[in-house]
Amino acid sequence: MTSASASPPTAQFRVAVSTPASLGLAAVGLLLLVGLVALPSVAERDLIQDLSFVFYMLALAQCWNLLAGYAGLVSVGQQAFVGLGGYLLFALTIFGNLDPLLAIVLAGVVAGLFAIPTGLVVFRFRGAYFAIGSWVVAEVYRLVFAQIKQLGGGTGTSLPPSVSNGVAGIDWVKTLFDVRAPAARDIITYWAALALAAGTLAVVYLLLRSRRGLALAAIRDQEATAESVGINTVRTKLAVYVLVAAMTGMIGALIYLQKARISPDSAFAVLDWTAYVILIVVIGGIGTIEGPVVGVIVFYLLQRYLADYGTWYLILLGAIAIAVMLFAPQGIWGSLQGRFRLALFPTQRRLERADVSGDRT
Amino acid sequence: MTRSGQRNSIDRRSLLKFSAASGAVLATGMRAPAIAQSRAVKLGYVSPVTGPLAAFAEADNFILANFKEATKGGIKLGNATVPVEVVVKDSQSNPNRAAEVAKDLIVQDKIDLMLVASTPETTNPVSTQCEIEEVPCVSTVAPWQPWFIGRQANPGGGPPAWTGFNYTYHFFWGLEDVIAVFTNMWGQLPTNKSVGGLFPNDGDGNAWGDKQVGFPPVLEKLGYKLTDPGRYQNLTDNFSAQINAFKGANCEILTGVVLPPDFTTFWKQALQQGYKPKAASIGKAILFPVAIEALGRDGNNLSSEVWWSPSHPFKSSLTDVSAKDLAGAYESATKKQWTQPIGFVHALFEVAVDVLKRTPQRGDAKATVKAIAETNLDTIVGHVQWNGAGVPPFAAKNVTKTPLVGGQWRLKDGNKYDIVIVDNRTAPIIPTAGKMEPIG
Repeated sequence: MTSASASPPTAQFRVAVSTPASLGLAAVGLLLLVGLVALPSVAERDLIQDLSFVFYMLALAQCWNLLAGYAGLVSVGQQAFVGLGGYLLFALTIFGNLDPLLAIVLAGVVAGLFAIPTGLVVFRFRGAYFAIGSWVVAEVYRLVFAQIKQLGGGTGTSLPPSVSNGVAGIDWVKTLFDVRAPAARDIITYWAALALAAGTLAVVYLLLRSRRGLALAAIRDQEATAESVGINTVRTKLAVYVLVAAMTGMIGALIYLQKARISPDSAFAVLDWTAYVILIVVIGGIGTIEGPVVGVIVFYLLQRYLADYGTWYLILLGAIAIAVMLFAPQGIWGSLQGRFRLALFPTQRRLERADVSGDRT
Repeated sequence: MTRSGQRNSIDRRSLLKFSAASGAVLATGMRAPAIAQSRAVKLGYVSPVTGPLAAFAEADNFILANFKEATKGGIKLGNATVPVEVVVKDSQSNPNRAAEVAKDLIVQDKIDLMLVASTPETTNPVSTQCEIEEVPCVSTVAPWQPWFIGRQANPGGGPPAWTGFNYTYHFFWGLEDVIAVFTNMWGQLPTNKSVGGLFPNDGDGNAWGDKQVGFPPVLEKLGYKLTDPGRYQNLTDNFSAQINAFKGANCEILTGVVLPPDFTTFWKQALQQGYKPKAASIGKAILFPVAIEALGRDGNNLSSEVWWSPSHPFKSSLTDVSAKDLAGAYESATKKQWTQPIGFVHALFEVAVDVLKRTPQRGDAKATVKAIAETNLDTIVGHVQWNGAGVPPFAAKNVTKTPLVGGQWRLKDGNKYDIVIVDNRTAPIIPTAGKMEPIG
């Protein structure tokens, strides 16, 4: 810092983040978003359901990517917040009589609050110990919820049809698209999933472009150095952890609104809510925003066409993950990025000569 | 240079996205019925083909092949004969996956009737999806309490808070039956009437150990003393606390509803620590010959509930084969010992065909539900009719029961076991082949 300010540049350099392509893409992205919002008017129900799945897995992957790829917090316990969100949805709608959509937002807030003490405990560990610690915490959550008799204990419980078909706006959607209640509910959860996926993408992107994002990048690259230049690493990491927990909690609530049935073993399933998510990020490319997008598409196609092979499907997923880690440790997008130097969501700061292009965007 | 690289990437990204979407669209298009008149009747079937519950679905391929053979000419609906198609999905023993595949079957495959079998972990998510999707569903192979009470919004709320279901129906037995069977078997032996209860914190364990609907109230009434050390977590590797509690209370009788690997662990540890009850009647864990063989010679005279066996005096409404012949055909086709789910999975398809035959308005969920409710069929597992017989009023609409008896595993030559029916007071129509013997 001091050395940079000691020799001030002669004002023809500037720091740029956007690339021309990324700006063009922002417009395309906005169009895509509008198209996706309007999609239920033309699409069949199964496409809507599949896209909901893609969106909530993408949102989960984006969250985990922020945690592991940027903050260096390799958590294998994110199912703690998925399950917490799911259970909060059930508690808030069944006992609190709240609207499910409102309950999703509240579940996020409460999950964030739970993440503060949880984070303070697990941050006492580092590296592999942190990973194990986060898993242990998720198991503790599972065991605790298995004791709550009102929510079915270890048996689990189902959302009554009056709740799942009582989502706000369901009548409006029913008349708008002329569909039955279950289809209308799907459309609303689809919009909620789309909002969460787009929302997490936006939050992650904006966060990484902000000052805090710079701090995160520094922590990722070398924690000790980051601390030495004045970054409060614990507070930064805790902030990210809490933010991710809140987003994960909202996604969990949405997932279990759609599933309509919850039990401790399913809500806190490490395979479904963390292992698959890690797989998505690893295949796509960890530490990039585009990676999870690519990863979730690959994962969706694999699941869609191969999941019926049961055990062989799981073996194949494992083999793909190992192959990617061995031969393309940066994932699909990471490899492409390395070769073509491209970025759809640029977060890297580049030093450019201001007088070359002349434009000041 | 950078520019062209970026364009390249956009192409790839949108290509992937597009192929995902178009793949999905294509798949729907291909599955959509061309002409409603000639389309097959579609049955969806979910069972745990892989994972820890896979033993329950071991006979599925055999049953499905039988079913295909029996219905290859189609079935009569009114005046028309239409083909039947079964779409089978694997729950992977995972409740999340079960809900997902149920949704797929309903939305993508557009099934007319859902069938689901084996343990609350499979039947409950699938039935829940069917209920909110308004698709008729018949389920089996899960005691009715975990199926019915476990799907209530407030499982602890009691009958006034519990509501019936409009689209989901279940046939199997209930806890009251297994309690009666177990206590009848224990009654054959002279014991101190001290019972140790091994109940996990899962769908079955919570129901069996429940202070209102489970074992405790009935045992108390019959003069048994129950030692219940509390719910344990599944896949525990140390049962010392439970074993000590049972030893301390001198429990000459052991009961519980345990996962197979857990029971193997428990029984080995109990024998090592010198705990050997006179009678051990365990649900779920020792249903399958493989599970009992895993205990080596220590499995002799362990007892279990028997919901179906080759000696059940019933025959199939679909193929007319007797229980004995069905089990025999399975054994010669697969070279494996028969298991209890064979009869029930077969019966599930019997009920399905019977219901479809009485629903000329194919695809009409309300008409199908009405046909299910009016079922009056003698199947290979006994009579199936949702008439509320022996079921409390709150569940009478959705639950019907099939007979249950008690059996004991007897070691025969080598390491093989046979289950011998030793008590039939709950269903005298099913013959016994022996008397209860103490372990030891």
